[in-house]
Amino acid sequence: MATRDKIYYTEGLPVPETPDLGTQPAFWKKTDLVGKPIPRVDAYERVSGTAVYPSDILLPNMIYAAILRCPHPHARVKKIDIAEAGKMPGVRAVITGDSKEAKGVKWKYRDMEVPLFDSHCRFEGEVVAAVAADSWYQARDAAQAIKVDYEVLPFVVDYERSLDVSVPRVQEKGNLLSEDTYSRGDVEKGFAEADIVLEQTYHTQCELHTPLELHGCVANWDGDRLTVWESSQGVFAVQSRVAEALNLPLSKVRASGHYMGGGFGSKLWPGKYTVISAMLARKAARPVKMLLSREETYLCAGNRPAGTMRIKAGVRKDGTITAIDFDCIGPSGAYPAGGVQLVDWLARDLYLCANVRTRGRDVLINAGPARPFRAPGHPQGAWALEQMIDELAKAIDMDPVQLRLKNVPLKSQAREGTPPYTSTGLRQCLEKGAEKFDWQASLERIRKFNEQNNHLRRGIGMGACLWVAGGGGPPSTVVIKLFRDGSINLNMGASDIGTGTKTIMAQVAAEELGVQPAIIQIENADTATTQYATPSGGSKTVPTEAPTVRNAAIALKQELLAAAAEDMEVPEDELEYIGDEIIWSRDAAKRLRITEVSRLKKRGVMIGTGYRGPNPADKVVNPFAAHFCELEVNILSGEINIIRFLGVHDSGRVMNRMTFDNQVYGGIVMGIGFGLTESRQLDERQTGRLCNKNWHDYKLPTAMDVPLEITSLPIELDDPESNNTGAKGLGEPVTIPTAAAIANALCMATGVRFTRAPVSPMEVVRKLSERKEG
Amino acid sequence: MLPKFSYIRPDKLDQAVAQIQAGNAAIHAGGTDLLGCLRERIIKSEKIVSISGLEKLRGVRETVEGGLRIGALTTITGMAEDPLVRKKYPGLAMAASEVASPQLRNQGTLGGNLCQKPRCWYYRGEFHCLRKGGNQCYAIEGENQFHAIFGHDNICVITHPSDTAPVLSALGAKVQVIGPGGGRNIAVADLHVPPRDDVRAETVLDQGEIITHVDIPPPPAGLYTSYRKVRARRSWDFALAGAALALVMDGDRVVRASIVFSGAAPVPWRSREAEQALAGNTLSDDTIDKVCRAATAGAKPLRENRYKVPMFRGMLEEELRKARLQEKA
Repeated sequence: MATRDKIYYTEGLPVPETPDLGTQPAFWKKTDLVGKPIPRVDAYERVSGTAVYPSDILLPNMIYAAILRCPHPHARVKKIDIAEAGKMPGVRAVITGDSKEAKGVKWKYRDMEVPLFDSHCRFEGEVVAAVAADSWYQARDAAQAIKVDYEVLPFVVDYERSLDVSVPRVQEKGNLLSEDTYSRGDVEKGFAEADIVLEQTYHTQCELHTPLELHGCVANWDGDRLTVWESSQGVFAVQSRVAEALNLPLSKVRASGHYMGGGFGSKLWPGKYTVISAMLARKAARPVKMLLSREETYLCAGNRPAGTMRIKAGVRKDGTITAIDFDCIGPSGAYPAGGVQLVDWLARDLYLCANVRTRGRDVLINAGPARPFRAPGHPQGAWALEQMIDELAKAIDMDPVQLRLKNVPLKSQAREGTPPYTSTGLRQCLEKGAEKFDWQASLERIRKFNEQNNHLRRGIGMGACLWVAGGGGPPSTVVIKLFRDGSINLNMGASDIGTGTKTIMAQVAAEELGVQPAIIQIENADTATTQYATPSGGSKTVPTEAPTVRNAAIALKQELLAAAAEDMEVPEDELEYIGDEIIWSRDAAKRLRITEVSRLKKRGVMIGTGYRGPNPADKVVNPFAAHFCELEVNILSGEINIIRFLGVHDSGRVMNRMTFDNQVYGGIVMGIGFGLTESRQLDERQTGRLCNKNWHDYKLPTAMDVPLEITSLPIELDDPESNNTGAKGLGEPVTIPTAAAIANALCMATGVRFTRAPVSPMEVVRKLSERKEG
Repeated sequence: MLPKFSYIRPDKLDQAVAQIQAGNAAIHAGGTDLLGCLRERIIKSEKIVSISGLEKLRGVRETVEGGLRIGALTTITGMAEDPLVRKKYPGLAMAASEVASPQLRNQGTLGGNLCQKPRCWYYRGEFHCLRKGGNQCYAIEGENQFHAIFGHDNICVITHPSDTAPVLSALGAKVQVIGPGGGRNIAVADLHVPPRDDVRAETVLDQGEIITHVDIPPPPAGLYTSYRKVRARRSWDFALAGAALALVMDGDRVVRASIVFSGAAPVPWRSREAEQALAGNTLSDDTIDKVCRAATAGAKPLRENRYKVPMFRGMLEEELRKARLQEKA
């Protein structure tokens, strides 16, 4: 079941249990505010620059920190000389593995515990020493002045070679970190029953995390109490990791991050830099600000691992998929980080298939560890599976949309007990999407276009997906405070990572309390002033927090009704809460505005506390989607021009049409980067170091690479079982099938199957000239 | 981080020259890449002389002969939008509009564009490569998908990053240079230094010399110019394969052809083989095919950039077909 799945955003985090609320409030049949395209509650602050991001924090006497990082993919630190650096102007603290502050301080890569300053550096960019100085420049200069004597060790950075016998070991136990297998039915029998069996190997590249706001924090001590302002997706994860590393009680660590400039999974937990900032701040007795450079984040702040996926699939002429055999290998990096995590999930669960076998091998290489990256594993898995489905469709002469429609599952086949989904919008995504995109007519139009046989060829393609999570779930605790003037504080631990969470929560609370969203001030993402929440990731923030906010509002209403019953001298169960008034059901003339409730007037505040209740037993809450793409390829130059994109999403109730569409646009743009332009390049055959660590060499898509026409079509299915708001996650499915849809369109345009992402003009020309020669 | 440096911004040309001459100064014009070069220790200077105050070096003027004189401080946007440039040498305006991104074009200058430092990731990264005084070109054995297929002689395999230089070279333009020894003219075609001549230098300019103007000869009758740039993304990127064409047409016959490639070689790469295959012929399918084959016949691709051979051929084929359409129209 989804709620019991091991999901990456809770892995390694202490998750407290919260009380079961029992009966959930009734599903909203009609809403006044929820779903409306309301501009973000903090839009003005964000756009005008008054929003204070962690990068903006400026404290009196604040100094700046820099980290000296290992320049080799594999080396041992033999000796560190800080004499010169320590004397440089402005320098107030230097810490290395030899410093007394560093003794015994540990860091965890998943389950593997290592010294925070480890003399055995297993990737380029590993921490060697840190400096705090009066200015950022002084700190950087001093870090560079630290003399380090390295024993340079042999390395491996090519994951496809990491299991060869002759390659160096990244960790003592060897380079195979884990091998996971899954099986249902009998794959060989399935292939025997197929009319067509196809096999193909697909590759996806390593994508680097590039949030606009750099990774970093400000750390400040007040006596024995530490405050950290961190650009983070989850302040409670920052609190617990820092408290653990520095052996502090949770109460002594305050982590705060009201605004943050993008994380995409790379900021689900803090970095070594967070702990180091706190150590430097203590040593220097000053607040310390540490923002990594872009080059540093490219080395150590995580990535979507590359992968090689072999897929073999069988289909009968009627479109029955008889067997899927999926094998993948991918690198965690130098430490355990989920190198193939969830890569096989779509092969297991997206389409009806009785016989499925998968294997995933997670390997180690001497490169920066991966971190969750928007829909971990899924875009890679979709790249292989969704191209294979198109190939199968072609082989049995069936329309690719039809083949997918024939295989829409209503149950999760890969989970124990085959539990049903609370809702499966996949069929509607495919049908309504094909209709909106004008799929059939477009096929005809494009065939005619390509008959002109000039150097510009067009193609359309599509891909579908589900997302393994997206149902949310406990724990979450939200407090709503009603002040005596009728204004409201909504107090929530979760971060708004740029998706519009705060706005949606204001809409939910306003809907329930009968007030305008503008009257609600949201206080969030601060471990000292808000309640525990898990990091915002996994497309679970809205389905986790929105029901909790609703529960808190209902709890507040119950408090108000009880108080009003005393004032009005009628039984509480004869009162109704309508708008922002309490009305006696026997005589509507007898009514009380909530601000007139005497208990509120006397106390100054009334509080409602909401807890996230459990997800439905034995059912799975997953979002579904389909993407459609039209593009044009110049077969002489290899250039690709994406003409239009359609993103069709079943994420349950649309909570805010503006933020919903924004997610769809952003996810498609990111998927275009995955499909066409972005790729980490290591100097594999010589030094093992990162070649492209700036924004020119690491090619994010520009505005020119993105089509003018991107359409978002929500499939809004009632899903009262998912949670009391009916919303499912959206932030990750929006980028899962994008690249696969592009590849399928490219195949139609050129007749060539592009198995290797990203498909740059270089790759197009390479493959087309191979065909010419072959 | 950044090394310490002094900064001076004279408002007279002779003062600027004197300041540049005195000491190992680096020149600031548009400043789009200077700080990056200082930070990456590509330029090691303790003195920056900004010539951005020399207003006389800005702007496009028509010469009495009917050519153009373009000040070295003219911005790339200024060139792309200049009506005289667009009318006389559309290919130059096309090249200017393909440079980098709008922000960089607004700030970057023609002189700076011609004197750019290479973008090889080994040269820009923390690799002590041959061009920086080391003893090895890392790109020859390394990750060389963006590197040269011509003119590298297996010494240094950078590609020259300029988009404007190939067009100016094809047009027979000259740069006006002033320095401690007075002024001189250098053909744009001779401005850049192949690795076999000097692997440490990108231009033939002496220390202290600055480009003041670029002179373009008057367009001959029947001149057709164009610039095409294929890149990995559609803005803010350098050429994977680019071509400047300057064809003198007589009816549908090409009388004279200049073809200069970008993204091909450590210098803007004049394809004499392609020019010879084209000159004197009409733009028939057969000629175009021959020209494209001739253009890449001498290519010496590296491990990761073999794609450039078909890409240059394909891109040139498309450009020559466009030229034919244009002439027919």
